[in-house]
Amino acid sequence: MVGAVSDFLNAWFVREILVHEASLLRYLRRSWFRPEEIHDLRQEIYVRVYEAAAKSLPASPKSFMFTIARHLMTDRLRRARVVSIDVVGDIDALNVLVDELSPETRLNGRQELHRLGEAFDRLPERCREVVWLRRVEELSQKQVAARMGISEKTVEKQVAKGSRLIADHFYGDGPAAHARHGDNRDRRDGGGRGRQQGD
Amino acid sequence: MAGSREIERTAAAWLARRDAGHWSAADQQALDAWLDAATAHRIAFLRLEAAWQQSDRLKALGAGIPAGTMPPRHRWRHTVETPAEPRRAGSQATPRPAHHRFRHLAGWTMAATGLLIAIAGWHWHAHEVVETISYQTPVGRLQEVPLADGSVATLSSNSRIVVSLSRGERHVELQRGEAFFAVAKDAGRPFVVDTRGRRVIAVGTRFAVRRDDDATRVVVTEGLVRLESDSPPGGHRQPTTLLPAGSRALATDTGVTVTAGSVQQAEAFLDWRNGFVSFHDTPLAEAVAEFNRYNNRQIVLGDNRVGSLRVGGNFHWSNTAAFVRLLEQGFPVTASEQGNRIVLRHR
Repeated sequence: MVGAVSDFLNAWFVREILVHEASLLRYLRRSWFRPEEIHDLRQEIYVRVYEAAAKSLPASPKSFMFTIARHLMTDRLRRARVVSIDVVGDIDALNVLVDELSPETRLNGRQELHRLGEAFDRLPERCREVVWLRRVEELSQKQVAARMGISEKTVEKQVAKGSRLIADHFYGDGPAAHARHGDNRDRRDGGGRGRQQGD
Repeated sequence: MAGSREIERTAAAWLARRDAGHWSAADQQALDAWLDAATAHRIAFLRLEAAWQQSDRLKALGAGIPAGTMPPRHRWRHTVETPAEPRRAGSQATPRPAHHRFRHLAGWTMAATGLLIAIAGWHWHAHEVVETISYQTPVGRLQEVPLADGSVATLSSNSRIVVSLSRGERHVELQRGEAFFAVAKDAGRPFVVDTRGRRVIAVGTRFAVRRDDDATRVVVTEGLVRLESDSPPGGHRQPTTLLPAGSRALATDTGVTVTAGSVQQAEAFLDWRNGFVSFHDTPLAEAVAEFNRYNNRQIVLGDNRVGSLRVGGNFHWSNTAAFVRLLEQGFPVTASEQGNRIVLRHR
């Protein structure tokens, strides 16, 4: 891909698509009956959106993404030979209008910063410290290693982990959601965001 | 291809390695190659990179904190004012407020009250007056029934439906047997087939619903239908299932099984409309039950062994004699006639 074009597309993707990740995840969790597949569904939706946008940018990116999500779930349902016994998910959420399901979630600058602070605070202790030293005090990974008395390899690993967790917390609604597979049914009513929303 | 989580981990590893410094042109080339290998790679990296860049803004939060000091957790709430908790759709995603429907209902109630008094013999249904018509077929007969909305119902043998068309809904109760529906499109008026506590809902599509003693079966050959269930009193709401063309659903008391397939495969389950029943490796007990749906002359299994033989093929459902003859020729089975019954036994 040509650099400038790809930069433009990447910026568009971050600005118009990633910001709706939390809504998307909520929609997928409500609609799809296998929570362990949500991560993969998200990836495939992003891939389809990105590839379509590379050809022509959709006029309303958010509804475009939700349409793709709906089609993808329908496709998968069709392809799966035997879908499930008894635990078919609440797929009628598919029929709910996007805006009804997820009112505008774009945050202003302050809210974004607040959200970032929360994302940062949710990092495990060591990871949080590495991110702080690296990003705020602007130490190199090597200096961070020296300061904390850990190996550079460990710092690098913590940076990798930090980037994933911050992405999950900042764009999505946190990795904790992935861990709560078992109680999928109890959460379906929508209100059950548990501690992530409570605090 | 690698799973999405694995891709994400690889992307994170690339990002961290680049962040470590000592990043050479060859490293960059290797990263580019990885990014170009799949859009999924590019997306995963892009997402983490964007988040990592965002974390640069932590500096704004760190203002006033002495270097070398870690801020305590949750201090941001005091330093960053937020007008309100960022709007999170989940908690607000309640379906349309109930009072809307209520108001609607109340309106109809008032409008309809006068009519109710005036017209005897009409039924009160949902939120207005409708006329109810029932159709039924005897054993061994099929019937096509054109409905007033332009839809066509095909009744299988020994079946009964009760049709109520109102302004808001086209309602069909399947009281017995099976029916195929070619539904006329009408987005404002869902077509609902109700049976054994399950509702099959379509707008414009083709599907069949069959009512057995212990199960409801749905076969969809065009469009999309929704299968809903009544909640048992005090019980949990049963999940709703979306059925695309080609799928078949089996709903029993314990739940719903959905089998997805091609439209062609689904059509095979509706061969009865053309006078056929088709079996694929079907236990004889099941095949016989199928035949008996269409005929007064019933086939009876004389012993258990014979019921577990497996049969396949297409048969005219009206020709029981030919089916029995084929069984006798191809299987260790003897048939004997007893009045209006044919008894099969293992030889």
